[in-house]
Amino acid sequence: MQEDFERTLRPLWLRGLGGDEAAYRQALEMIAARLRAYFKRRLASLPDDVEDLVQETLLALHLQRATYDRSVPLGAWAHAIARHKLVDLWRRRGRRQVEVSLELDDASEALAVSQSEAQPARRDLSVLLALLPAAQRDAILMIKVEGLTVTEASARSGVSVSALKVQVHRGLARLAALVRQQR
Amino acid sequence: MKTDELIGLLAATAGPTPRAPVARRVVPAAALGLAAAVALALAAIGLEPAAQGVPLLLKLSYTATLVFAAAWLVARHARPAMPVAAPLRVLVLVIATMAALGALSLWQAAPGERVATLFGRYWLQCPWTVLALSLPALAAMLWALRGLAPTRPQPAGLAAGLLAGALAAFGYSLACPEASAAFVAAWYTLGILLAGGLGALLGPWALRW
Repeated sequence: MQEDFERTLRPLWLRGLGGDEAAYRQALEMIAARLRAYFKRRLASLPDDVEDLVQETLLALHLQRATYDRSVPLGAWAHAIARHKLVDLWRRRGRRQVEVSLELDDASEALAVSQSEAQPARRDLSVLLALLPAAQRDAILMIKVEGLTVTEASARSGVSVSALKVQVHRGLARLAALVRQQR
Repeated sequence: MKTDELIGLLAATAGPTPRAPVARRVVPAAALGLAAAVALALAAIGLEPAAQGVPLLLKLSYTATLVFAAAWLVARHARPAMPVAAPLRVLVLVIATMAALGALSLWQAAPGERVATLFGRYWLQCPWTVLALSLPALAAMLWALRGLAPTRPQPAGLAAGLLAGALAAFGYSLACPEASAAFVAAWYTLGILLAGGLGALLGPWALRW
């Protein structure tokens, strides 16, 4: 199973890191399905939190994608971040037995199972988007809601492509911070 | 927003990944911490005229080596799932080598001089001064790490503290009148370990993301 994760996902992921949008999207979809199965098994008592945590972890993986080191299996890297987010959620929910539960958490098996049907997210990221500074929010909305490419959005708004990407990145980082505050 | 929409947004805006994300945050933070430690040492204690020659060189090379080893450890902790055994081994080796040099200097000292060789006049101030001088560097380092991806906050905090302590000890070398290798091996190291301990305490609180 782990073999499959590395063999199919890692090449997509690496192409995504190089700027291949379609490969990156496909890699994120596969990771999301595995995260969903991973969190679902570990959040049996908090099923409503699963999809929120999937989204929060995807955001973290995306924002920190530059910290992926090619010498490490992609599964180990993604699992370390997923586990960090899970522990963070447990702490916020006042769980005490975090360490005990994590002993069952075997890195080589953790992301082996996949579940592609999304559950409804409880927290709506669109609502949090409204709290961002205007420049960051507008950059994100042009691309998300109107479906423009970054180049088209740049032509429309008169903001350069690189400046637009900076705004989006800052907006997503701010969004990740808001997500943590809201829980 | 559905998860699919979020993925679409992330993919559409990604572009190529930035390079050297760790160095880009850790190097400026370390430079800032070092500048603060040197400036504070010179302002609060003053440049020590006796700090020169072999003793100064020994302090500077010991602390500089520790800076590089601890920076390596910090860099490993900044990336998820990276092994940390190699930088840890180097850190222990550097400290053990300095301890051996210190023991040698004690052994070579005349029996009546040994206490003075080890404790000097400033053994009590030295570790606390190093800890105090490390605070700006520690704050900068925790800030740098927080923007990266430390998934083990306590060991990551320890690494940040050791690096801050080593930078502080480097600055303190310029203001320290003590000359014996035994003094450096004992009290400089203790100060750096205190900074490491503070980092480990602060890690779980400061390194949330």
